[in-house]
Amino acid sequence: MAARPRPTSDEAREALREAMERLAAGDQAALEDIYRMTRVKLFGITLRILGDRKEAEDALQDVYVNLWQRADRYDPARASPISWLATFARNRAIDRLRTGKVRGGAVGIEEAAPLPDESPLADALLVDAEQAAQIHKCIATLDERTRTHIRAAFFDGKTYAQLAEQAGVPLGTMKSWIRRGLQRLRTCLEASEAV
Amino acid sequence: MSAPEDTPGNGENGMDRDDPVIAAEWALGLLEGEELLAARGKYATDPAFAWRKEWWDNWFAPWTDEMAGAAEPGDHVWQGIAARVGTPADAGTDTPVVNNGGEVIELKARVRRWQWVAGITSAAAALALAVLAFAPGNAPVTAPGEAPPQLAAAPMVATVPIGETGLRLDVTYIPESEKMLIAAIGLTADGVHDHELWLVPDNGGAAHSLGVVTPGSVRSMSVPAEVTAQLHNGSRLILTREPIGGKPEGVDAGPVVAEGAFSQV
Repeated sequence: MAARPRPTSDEAREALREAMERLAAGDQAALEDIYRMTRVKLFGITLRILGDRKEAEDALQDVYVNLWQRADRYDPARASPISWLATFARNRAIDRLRTGKVRGGAVGIEEAAPLPDESPLADALLVDAEQAAQIHKCIATLDERTRTHIRAAFFDGKTYAQLAEQAGVPLGTMKSWIRRGLQRLRTCLEASEAV
Repeated sequence: MSAPEDTPGNGENGMDRDDPVIAAEWALGLLEGEELLAARGKYATDPAFAWRKEWWDNWFAPWTDEMAGAAEPGDHVWQGIAARVGTPADAGTDTPVVNNGGEVIELKARVRRWQWVAGITSAAAALALAVLAFAPGNAPVTAPGEAPPQLAAAPMVATVPIGETGLRLDVTYIPESEKMLIAAIGLTADGVHDHELWLVPDNGGAAHSLGVVTPGSVRSMSVPAEVTAQLHNGSRLILTREPIGGKPEGVDAGPVVAEGAFSQV
């Protein structure tokens, strides 16, 4: 990440925060700035979930059009802009996956257009590193089986039924595994917040 | 709230887990169908649940860093976005519809006109949206000096799909009429329940009843000013199942069976 001269993560965050503020005030030019800063990250998300370039691009388009239509929904007190946008993009992709005929799944890197050198800010815009470390630490406390299934739900948009089928266990068993895992995850995360 | 931690058999019917776990399942994308609808309804009406959903979203968000591929979307993506949000054009230039009979017919005609306009060019919609985006908070009116006033007349529509049935409720609000047009075509009464439509305020306060839906018909209803004052692009509607006649006084509203949000035509 540090190989090429790029804006620091803090600068990128600040630029995005400022653009989101302008967007909320109705400045349409802000949308283009936000797109420029976040498209690579958000496209990575929709592509990963949908596994189809065309679908992922359509989902991405929906994300930004929606963002413009309902810019007032973002609450800076609750989440960082990139965290919120990433969640939003993933949710849109999941919605599309559930309602459409898309097959989903991981996508080969060769399907993706190469990233141009000047691609600005893209890889600088990571969600808070400290927070990332904590969720990784907590997920690591779960048994490997549960961890794998929870991650498959998040990263590949798998349903309970798909996870159960993959693992060759009854649906109810899969639900129990994941729900107990989520319960433990919550306990661990809450403990980290209390510190 | 029950703690499902040590009840291994709890997964089958999906009912006996606590809200934080349901919020987590939703955040992961594991909820489907009725459960997803119920969660969305709860999000709209239960601040603690909404808080918890966002709590999980925030914690899971760092995982998206691992999804970041080296992929660049095509140029047409931005062009499509710009076309859908930008280029203000000929919105609001239509002449007013002649009042030609029954109120419902007139409203329907105006809605059709708007749908038609929106269908041939998204520019009208885009401009109307821009107006809404300028409006601070939940004020439905145009902000002073920032938009031509005739744009306030753009209807807002909400589609409220009923479960997986393919049936839906179409709700249209036409600002200058102070009327809401509620189309429940295809729905039939079961003789035991009524369905009541609610507007969910942004501030998490109590939902405003818009009244009981009449199955199989299109009805217009007057909307109190206190309700229209809260209407804006993105305003959320929920549909609850109630005893015949609607929610009785002093009783909690029934289960949320469907939800939708207004968007400006």
